Amino acid sequence: MTAKITRRDFLKTSGLLAAGMALAACRPQVETEMAAPVGPSPPQTPWPTTVPADEALLAHTLRRISWGPTPEMFERARSLGLDAYIEEQLHPETLDDSEVESLLDNFETLTMTPGERDELEKRAQPIQELIGATLLRQWRSPRQLYEVVVDFWSNHFNIFIGKNQCRVLKTDDDLDVIRPNALGKFADLLSASAHSPAMLVYLDQASSGKRAPNENYARELMELHTISVDGGYSHDDIIEVARAFTGWSVAGRRDVLRKAGSFLFRRQMHDDGEKRVMDLAIPAGGGEEDGQMILDYLGHHEMTARFISTKLARRFVADEPPASLVAKLSQTFTESGGDTREMLRVLLRSDEFRNSAGQKVKRPLEFFISALRVTNARIGSRSRALVDYLRQLGQVPFFWSPPTGYPDTADWWMTTSGLLGRWNFGLLLAAGMIRGAEVDLESLTADAASPRDVVDVLSIRFLGEKLPDDARDILIDFASQGDLGDNLAGVAGLIMGSPHFQVR
Amino acid sequence: MTTKLSRRDFLKVSTLLGGLTLAPDLPGWMPRMAFAPAGVEPAGDILVTVFQRGAMDGLNAVIPHGESNYYDLRKTLAIPEPKPGDDQTGIDLDGFFSLHPSLRPLKDLWDDQALAIVHAVGSPDPTHSHFDAMDYMERGTPGEKKITTGWIGRHLQTAPWQNDSPFRAIGMGGIMQASLRGPVPVATLRSIADFHLQGRPEDLERLRRNLASLYSAGSALDAEAVETFSAVDLLSSIDVSTYAPEGGAAYPDTEFGLALQQVAQIVKAEIGMEVACVDIGGWDTHNQQGVLTGTMPALLDELATGLAAFYHDLGERAERVTLVTMSEFGRRAYENGSGGTDHGHGNLMFVLGGNVNGGKVYGEWPGLAEEQLYGPGDLAVTTDFRDVLAEIVQKRLANPNLEEVFPNYPAWKNLGVVVDGG
Repeated sequence: MTAKITRRDFLKTSGLLAAGMALAACRPQVETEMAAPVGPSPPQTPWPTTVPADEALLAHTLRRISWGPTPEMFERARSLGLDAYIEEQLHPETLDDSEVESLLDNFETLTMTPGERDELEKRAQPIQELIGATLLRQWRSPRQLYEVVVDFWSNHFNIFIGKNQCRVLKTDDDLDVIRPNALGKFADLLSASAHSPAMLVYLDQASSGKRAPNENYARELMELHTISVDGGYSHDDIIEVARAFTGWSVAGRRDVLRKAGSFLFRRQMHDDGEKRVMDLAIPAGGGEEDGQMILDYLGHHEMTARFISTKLARRFVADEPPASLVAKLSQTFTESGGDTREMLRVLLRSDEFRNSAGQKVKRPLEFFISALRVTNARIGSRSRALVDYLRQLGQVPFFWSPPTGYPDTADWWMTTSGLLGRWNFGLLLAAGMIRGAEVDLESLTADAASPRDVVDVLSIRFLGEKLPDDARDILIDFASQGDLGDNLAGVAGLIMGSPHFQVR
Repeated sequence: MTTKLSRRDFLKVSTLLGGLTLAPDLPGWMPRMAFAPAGVEPAGDILVTVFQRGAMDGLNAVIPHGESNYYDLRKTLAIPEPKPGDDQTGIDLDGFFSLHPSLRPLKDLWDDQALAIVHAVGSPDPTHSHFDAMDYMERGTPGEKKITTGWIGRHLQTAPWQNDSPFRAIGMGGIMQASLRGPVPVATLRSIADFHLQGRPEDLERLRRNLASLYSAGSALDAEAVETFSAVDLLSSIDVSTYAPEGGAAYPDTEFGLALQQVAQIVKAEIGMEVACVDIGGWDTHNQQGVLTGTMPALLDELATGLAAFYHDLGERAERVTLVTMSEFGRRAYENGSGGTDHGHGNLMFVLGGNVNGGKVYGEWPGLAEEQLYGPGDLAVTTDFRDVLAEIVQKRLANPNLEEVFPNYPAWKNLGVVVDGG
């Protein structure tokens, strides 16, 4: 990325990035939507393309492992070779993220304790800054695949930041649970999540005691985090898991042993009897170990392997993941001890992945970030309107209230309001009509002298390849009417509005 | 155009018209008939829900002035007992309940018998979490987190008719209400005026033509694009700028007022809308909520002015509209130390429309004596909110499939709040 935003601009930006969220924060019900089994099927075949096979594979891969490929990414991938590039992306620690890190210094709540966040006068500030930091990383970090995977796990272990104290706790979940474990072992991530105060509050575990165990976390732990609804558990198993986790709680202001907002095992609330969960027997008197035993058991279960594999394949390959790939990934999960990096390595080299071009529709957040990335947008000091578009498109990070995470299939997102919202965002962004976001189309097309060149340059920049002939002809015709310079915004807006830009 | 157009025909027409808007001279056949095949058009009322986000203090909105405990619990916040001719006191409804004076616009509707009140109503789930309570209420499944669809979504899904209008269900405010979740597509709408293609004005016609071409090359998204264009055209037939509410209606100049006004416009435009969800926030009054003036009275005024304007604006059309309000829970019966009230349990619902058995407060009053309060000191719930909604779904929305709309709630109680449409 060559776009420059000054630090000063950014300071203003971050405040305002944030400001758009404030309203939403007051209305905890917002953005509560679930997958609906309607709508058009996702594209089954990509449009015909004349691009050489290896270039097409490169573009396809970069679209899937990033928030929108930039020319810099293409350049790097071509010079390293695709396999080596994937390997580099799988090791984000080797990629310099200092620009983003230094901008993040401006988000003071990222380094505060939950107690400090809770004392802020601006109650929405922790929410605003975490969302701002997340968007910033997706937009500008060179660790693109890592940010995609972080988003995947953030949705798998979904926490709605608008629920009660999640407001001040989710930041730690992001920094200490999701990010350090995103490319690591699943069981470690699961255990970290189970100890995460934000999760314990979100799923009502923090207040669960032996007299009346709350089953919410127990249920979602099995259904959504590990073995899935098909995992073969009964309601009795849920009750047993709930008993085992009684006492897993969060320290409050009055607790002296731990800092407010950190994990606390409340022994006196724990049910110390013996339990049986599926084929796991837990002896009496295990205390805090009860829960850990269950996490170890579920974290390595073959149904967990299958469920995580299915979801990863849905994320990276197709809404209906190929069974052959799910089987392959499940095996990798089992053999590698649930190693996410290893699973991605297998996935990204699989034929199923390579043959899946055009089969995933961008979700609103992917659409939004990719538009900012490919247009090399400069985000100015008044970006409230910009973030408001994301809110309207319906996918602000951490604002999905049910524990399922944002749906990952096209049918949910492709609605009339959704499509109109994308068209308008693309057209307005290209025309410079979104306050706070500036796009310099002249410099993007500096070398293009003819309508044909303009269309090709912009489509390669936005899509990673030329448009198929019919769409290309439509746009060349458009660009040929009247002054070419006057048509730049139209061409750019139409490409972003086109069906081709809606897929990744 | 003597016969009804099928849905497909309609889409073709709108595609052929291309960049043109569906002309205003296409008469009133347009929506309901165009979208619904003969014989299966929507049989019931249009439903409008108003969700009061944050938990309204129902005890200070419709005051049980006939119960002295109220005055003991609300030392500083009590609304004075009704005194004829004194507009600084409650407005007597039936000798026991009175309206907060800021709800005065509702008194006409009450006298018209278009407004009913259900008191001590709410969710059986004891949660004091806004998030959980709203979620339960909007999904219509208290205590149950498994079911992912909303109660209105399930109503639309199971209604015994078809209606392909892109505006069959509308969530006002730009973000879809959870009650609308389900397989039937929902249009979210901030404002009618904004639901159109945007970009450089001088380019819009060309941009639209070219977008339409880009979505005619066989991509899987083509059908959705056609649908989107027809939705845009449909709404463009509604002129927002020159709209003059009827019946002397004056909407409050707020997001809520604008939302209700637009719902009225869409009702009148007959574009196939069956349900609309509207929100009004700000009811979480822990601090200094105000007695006769202040935060809560201002909200009550906004609410009442909006509802009254909506009813008057609809005129005779109100015969085919039923509006119901709800809030996730009520507030503590006793006031707190900062001039406000904390999260409670039972609350109230308003039901408004031309076929409401109005002029009456429904529900069994549980009382406010210490032993009658629920949990930490809350108004008890004697009527499940689903009783009110189920009755509306069956009698006014003409959907008999209540076991699907409110699963696991077979024995709903028939209060008689609305007229049975048959």
